[in-house]
Amino acid sequence: MAAATTTLYSWVLAEFATPDALVSATRQMREKGFEGMDTYSPYPLHGGSEALGLPPSRVPFIALGGGLTGLATALAMQTWMNTIDYPLNIGGRPLMSLPAWVPITFELSVLFAAFGIFFGLLALSRLPQPYHPVFESDAFRSASTHGYWLSVPHATGQDATTVMDQLKALGATQVTVVTGEKE
Amino acid sequence: MSPPVTTARLSDLGRYTATPKLMVPAFGLGALGLLATLAGYFTGATGQAAHSYLIAFAYWLGISVAFLIMVAIFHTAKAKWLIVLRRTMETGAASVVIFIPLFVVLLLMTKDLYPWWPGSPLAAHITGLEAEHLSHKQHGYLNPTFFYIRQAIYFAVWAFVAWRLRSWSLKQDETGELDLTVKQRRFSPGSLPFLALTITFASFDWLMSLTPLWQSTIFGVYYFAGSFLAAFCILTLTTVNATGANLYGSVVKLDHFHNLGKLMLAFTAFWAYIAFSQFLLVWIANIPEEAPWYGLRIFGSWRPLSIALFFLHFVLPFFTLLSRNLKLQPRKLAVVAVYILVIHAVDLYWLVWPALTGTEGPTFHWTLVTAFIGVGGISVGFALMQARNRFTLPVKDPYIAESLRYVQP
Repeated sequence: MAAATTTLYSWVLAEFATPDALVSATRQMREKGFEGMDTYSPYPLHGGSEALGLPPSRVPFIALGGGLTGLATALAMQTWMNTIDYPLNIGGRPLMSLPAWVPITFELSVLFAAFGIFFGLLALSRLPQPYHPVFESDAFRSASTHGYWLSVPHATGQDATTVMDQLKALGATQVTVVTGEKE
Repeated sequence: MSPPVTTARLSDLGRYTATPKLMVPAFGLGALGLLATLAGYFTGATGQAAHSYLIAFAYWLGISVAFLIMVAIFHTAKAKWLIVLRRTMETGAASVVIFIPLFVVLLLMTKDLYPWWPGSPLAAHITGLEAEHLSHKQHGYLNPTFFYIRQAIYFAVWAFVAWRLRSWSLKQDETGELDLTVKQRRFSPGSLPFLALTITFASFDWLMSLTPLWQSTIFGVYYFAGSFLAAFCILTLTTVNATGANLYGSVVKLDHFHNLGKLMLAFTAFWAYIAFSQFLLVWIANIPEEAPWYGLRIFGSWRPLSIALFFLHFVLPFFTLLSRNLKLQPRKLAVVAVYILVIHAVDLYWLVWPALTGTEGPTFHWTLVTAFIGVGGISVGFALMQARNRFTLPVKDPYIAESLRYVQP
């Protein structure tokens, strides 16, 4: 907790009036060479990830892994229970009857894939995140109701006027700089 | 995502005129195929030709009715993204009328298909309890008079709904009246229960009654699921190849193909879900009336095909279509569409052919090919004829602009 080792980070925050303005500003800022930007909107933003130039999501592979784990777990569990642990003759069916195990296998595959998606997404997004310096900005609260925001990382202590002017030229309705400690 | 393929503008698109190049060969091949099949039927290969013809008829008609249900569902959901593709679906749906003459050909063969048909040579196979059950319990439904009445109802419903929806849509091309959209959206949900019941009972009549004692209430959904999937494949193929002058392919975006790929994936899974649901209930109940239908298919000579169908109709296309990259490449998606269309034909073969060969197992007969080409050629040729001198997309639909700039969420 020594103050000397604390690194401060800064962001320029810009609010836009419409989702389209945000997406187009994001794309133009990226074309100018800005990196590490992020967009914030009250609902999923069409074209947002493309404008940010994000790489393809890794969530599908986590989901596939989860699904296959569920499949293997269900098959192993039922095989062990019904043929080894507690063999039970039901209507003369063979002890190991694959068709009867499909419903459980299907459900468990779906469940594990859903877990994979849910927790994988949380982990990849580093959520939950109880504190972030941008929360210090009161105006930024509109990001959860009606505002469309863009954050541009900025070197702490340096003059941000040029960045702010560029964002205003792209249609930002308000621009501020926040500085703080990450996480 | 890569930029959309859109290059043309809506106003550049006129009426589609250049059909004969495709239409004439389609009709020609179709006529040849039908004649060859009929020749086979009258020169000894009676059973094979009849069953081949039934497979081909059920295959192509199923796609046409699936298009009809698709149009009605999308209107009911007030979907906008697919409007650029809707004319193709409407054309496919309106082609259902060509199946009326094609059905008359099938009526020639009923005796050789259905053991319950009076005077059927197949009736000899049904003896003892089976015959008794058949005559007492099923006669009220499975008799020629009621059969004819039902067929008339099916085709009347399909032809009427298809004509209604398409003629409103075509009229809108001329007038651009907004009221026509309201009419389509109001008529479609009302028509859906009728479409669902007719396709279900049609599948009972044509396919399930090949083995009269075999009863499965989900059978109609099984037939529909495969047909719906095949219809999405035809839609994808048509859209990929609609690249000439005045064709709507030039304004379709990659996002539309992405959606078609997703729908193909969804209905691959849906088919498997329904197929397994039907199988599990019969297998677990193990009732003497129902079990033999599956017994024939999952044991003995049909077993390899049944197992292959699970992998080739579900596992392979499912995992192939999971790829997002693939769905964003229309050409590759079209290859998968062709594959699914082939495997859907194998699925219908698997439904129908065991009624002919029994424990002898899968066999091949040349009428399978000629009947498939015959019915396919005639129906595709008829669909192309319907598309002639029309716009290939609903140019004055109030939502066409929204459909053209559709972005994948």
